[in-house]
Amino acid sequence: MDIVDMDIRQWDVNDVKEQFGDSLTLLPPNDNIKELQTILRDKNTTRSDFKFYADRLIRLVIEESLNKLPFTDCEVVTPTGALYKGLKYGSGNCGVSIVRSGEAMEQGLRDCCRSIRIGKILVESDNDTHEAHVVYAKFPEDIARRQVLLMYPIMSTGNTVKQAVNVLTQHGVKEERIILSNLFCTPAAAQAVVDYVPKMKILTSELHPVAPNHFGMKYFGTD
Amino acid sequence: MAGKVNKFETPSSASSDSDSELALEISEQVFIDDEDYSRAPASPTTVPNVRSYRPPSTGSNILKSPRGRRVRTTSMSQPNKKTTAESILHADRRTIYTAGRPPWYNCTGGQEVEPFLIGICGASASGKTTVAAKIIESLNIPWVTIVSMDSFYKVLNEKQHHAAMRNEYNFDHPDAFDMELLESVLQRLKEGKKVEVPIYNYVTHSREHRTKTMYGANVIIFEGILAFYNAQVLSKLDMRVFVDTDADIRLARRLRRDIVQRGRDLEGVLKQYMTHVKPAYQNYIAPCMAHADIIVPRGGENKVAISLIVQHVHKQLQLRGFKVREKLAIAHVGQPVPDSLYVLKDTPQVQGLHTFIRNKDTPRDEFIFYSKRLMRLVIEFALSLLPYSEHQVDTPQGFTYTGRKCDVEKICGVSILRAGETMEQAVCDVCKDIRIGKILIQTNQQTDEPELYYLRLPKDIKDYRVVLMDATVATGAAAMMAVRVLLDHDVPEEHISLVSLLMAEIGVHSIAYAFPRVKIITSALDPEINEKFYVLPGIGNFGDRYFGTEPSDEE
Repeated sequence: MDIVDMDIRQWDVNDVKEQFGDSLTLLPPNDNIKELQTILRDKNTTRSDFKFYADRLIRLVIEESLNKLPFTDCEVVTPTGALYKGLKYGSGNCGVSIVRSGEAMEQGLRDCCRSIRIGKILVESDNDTHEAHVVYAKFPEDIARRQVLLMYPIMSTGNTVKQAVNVLTQHGVKEERIILSNLFCTPAAAQAVVDYVPKMKILTSELHPVAPNHFGMKYFGTD
Repeated sequence: MAGKVNKFETPSSASSDSDSELALEISEQVFIDDEDYSRAPASPTTVPNVRSYRPPSTGSNILKSPRGRRVRTTSMSQPNKKTTAESILHADRRTIYTAGRPPWYNCTGGQEVEPFLIGICGASASGKTTVAAKIIESLNIPWVTIVSMDSFYKVLNEKQHHAAMRNEYNFDHPDAFDMELLESVLQRLKEGKKVEVPIYNYVTHSREHRTKTMYGANVIIFEGILAFYNAQVLSKLDMRVFVDTDADIRLARRLRRDIVQRGRDLEGVLKQYMTHVKPAYQNYIAPCMAHADIIVPRGGENKVAISLIVQHVHKQLQLRGFKVREKLAIAHVGQPVPDSLYVLKDTPQVQGLHTFIRNKDTPRDEFIFYSKRLMRLVIEFALSLLPYSEHQVDTPQGFTYTGRKCDVEKICGVSILRAGETMEQAVCDVCKDIRIGKILIQTNQQTDEPELYYLRLPKDIKDYRVVLMDATVATGAAAMMAVRVLLDHDVPEEHISLVSLLMAEIGVHSIAYAFPRVKIITSALDPEINEKFYVLPGIGNFGDRYFGTEPSDEE
């Protein structure tokens, strides 16, 4: 890890806004979420527990990310005959997961949006230079017209996400139409990504100088 | 199973014809109504004529009580002088449960209508309890509370305790009773409030640390040898019954009871009778007869007297008219929302989900899908309101992470059938291996009042945090009944969280007022309810839409 801010502090909404503007949103913290994070951090957590609690946290992060999609007001009639002023989300969204750990979040997205299209990007990073290269990318054809929910759970440097965003913009996706769903993020990575694509919206559940890099291996059981 | 049941001990043989086959465990009660009980006179307001009504498609298995008879619930203070928590009364081929009753609270937290308080006075072993049992039996009212004056004996000091061991302490004197406590308990019961009735230990002559929780009922029966002695107590009684039994019969019963059942010796019993019991009757009890509205000679065998009493009570109840939901529906209008209410953050997603499930044209598969998403969010939110404390863990990255851990290890879900059942999946998805209890409460379609039919809860539910689930809360009448059932099972009030997708403001107020320490958690709060007690704008009948049992569109 090159630049890591070792300042372990509790980021609240104002800190985040001051540091990252409107680009980055923290999942509204509560004890339940903190417990989920604690279990995922604990090295003694069993794999089955790890997957169970990771899926719960992913679900919450995805639900919160969906709040960033555009919506319009609408009125519906309830079975009691009353009017309800609600709102409606447009169609034409899609998910894009960054292989491999991003795929852990696909089920969470499916549980919220049943028939959503999901694209994939494979980014490999060089072990020595931390340079990231896109190896593979497959998207729905009309991705340029869609809102994109980019899924990647752990960000320690932000290099992978930067490359993934590059691929998306090359396919015509506008920066402001990308929402990044993330579980654990280092302040350094957040800063790097925000500086690189200021209009992208990022949602994470925790800002902490040490990222739980074992996530993918433990989730998929390849440690 | 029958071994767990404490038979209702009456001085006479009133309980001998009970059949233990009906004795279900208290944790799996079945409350049903049945045809062959229609012969009893029923007041239209207090006893809804439910026999033509069957809860729709809730599965016939749960409605099959051993013999399909009407089962009623009574709560009693000290029915058998042994244990008090799990009492079942057997009378005339019927079983009367002594736990739980519907929570008929009004806006002041008291009972909707003041209960009818019957006082039964009479000498020791005159058959007061038998008369009380016969009245309950003939009343055909589902919820009756019996308070025994024996619960209010004063705590004895060491000297008095030793005197009592030698049969020299006067238990028949008015000073032996804690009249102040008695008066306040009766007053609270009349207001429909919860009371803690002491449990008197006859061995140590002191009160036990635990108390019996009782609630007001439509009819409360208070019985004791000096029931009419205290003027304040006397003034609270709506009807005063004196049981007058021949002295020889009383002595014979007393001898049998004390020697055979309580293992005392003949000499001691006679000594106590001559020095305390007999003078007390002449000096304090017999003069009470003057206060009686009705004197029942020969005790429980006097069928004519009992039927007169029952007729009078029915008439009185009819005049008072028990109607709960309507009153709940108009109480608390314009009050600020209570502190115990937690509403899920109103994000665009939550609103979007509500838009789907509230729309009457949403197809069922979408309705189920989106309501499930919302349930998951509500349950996660409910879990975040439990107590947590700091917890440190070691990470694979080699540093110690300071996180949080829930203090609660035992969480149990309880769903209010049928709509609450839909939330079970969500709670199972977030809590591994969670236990699920069920309570079936159905609205009586003729009276629109909720009625308790079935419940099955984990045995040691008092040790759990309970997540009580119902999809919608309108007047709160059903949820309050469920909370009451949990309280009756000794779950502390602050350990209950009521979780729901949609609540009406009045329901929230009613619940928060009656049970201020119950956490109320919902994803949306609607302002009104309509004349059918559905929330407005609302979701409609959630259970029907989820399970696809809506009536066809003929209305």
